[in-house]
Amino acid sequence: MNAIGAGLAMLTAFGAGIGMCFATAKAVEAVARQPEASGKINTLLLLGCALAESTAIYAFVVALILAVK
Amino acid sequence: MSTVSIIELIVSAVLSAVGIIGFFATKKDEITDKKQKKKHRLFLVLIIIAVWFLIGTVIQIFSKIKMGLSVEFQLFSNRVTFFGFSVAETTLVGWGIVLIALLLSLIFRLFVFPKFDPDHPKGFQNVMELAVEATQNFTGGILGDYGKQVAPYMFSLAVFMIFSAFSELLGFRPPTSDLTVTFAMGLITFFLINYYGIRKKGVDGRLKGMMVPTPIVLPMKILSDIATPVSLACRLFGNMLGGVIVMHLLKSALGGYAVGIPAVAGLYFNLFHPIIQTYIFIILSLTFISEAVE
Repeated sequence: MNAIGAGLAMLTAFGAGIGMCFATAKAVEAVARQPEASGKINTLLLLGCALAESTAIYAFVVALILAVK
Repeated sequence: MSTVSIIELIVSAVLSAVGIIGFFATKKDEITDKKQKKKHRLFLVLIIIAVWFLIGTVIQIFSKIKMGLSVEFQLFSNRVTFFGFSVAETTLVGWGIVLIALLLSLIFRLFVFPKFDPDHPKGFQNVMELAVEATQNFTGGILGDYGKQVAPYMFSLAVFMIFSAFSELLGFRPPTSDLTVTFAMGLITFFLINYYGIRKKGVDGRLKGMMVPTPIVLPMKILSDIATPVSLACRLFGNMLGGVIVMHLLKSALGGYAVGIPAVAGLYFNLFHPIIQTYIFIILSLTFISEAVE
């Protein structure tokens, strides 16, 4: 049962992946439009990706707590 | 020794012998022929693969390493007795890292820095000045006036996190993959947020800043403030532990053949990934502090 719960918790990775995909796509668009602003965009992209990724990381921590005894 | 391993040993030995003989046979004073050159390179590739296979087989036979996907670890690290105290293994590694960083900084301060010439910087002094300036610019760019005060802490945090990521290469469990260590880091950030927020605006000013736009949101703002260190800690912990587990899985899957290949994966999981996580931890801390100060 614990393993099933851990697997279900990791479904959150869908959302995180989609969110990071949107962020990266928009960042690529922005850099293509304004290549001189790539430094600032990079910083913002990393920040946004970290925040989007954190949901997946919380799910990972929950899954670990469930799976490891 | 099973027959399979004997066959493996013979095949790999023969292949590496063929490779070495071929490598030296095709080596001439000047290789102008394109085909000859290609053959020469092909033998070099054969040597590398065969020697890797030979080393892997020998390790597999003479050590009792089992091959197969299995990973054994605990959420919290093992406890060891250290001078009569029961401490976590990661804490001990963390102390070691702090000791190394402290000794290095003492050596730099006492023996290297007095020799520096402020008018004609060269060599190591340039590197040091560049590091200090880059850190102060980075923190100052986000925090403004308080940037200079936070810069030393942020730099030492980065040193600690990168050193602890490298401690995995020596076979330890990195301190940043322990929830207690990352939570302590998150608590320090929480303390810094409130310290600078209260210092800039006073206690009532900080409380008033939380009541924007209406006083109803005050509990939610307090809750989100409390969630900040938890989210920072869990993010770092999850990322580092994920890297550790992937490296463990790779090593256990390869068994005795884990020669050379984990080094390539380690370039990402032990070098690039921790540096990105360090950057994110520091930039998030600075952003939260600047939010409280504004």
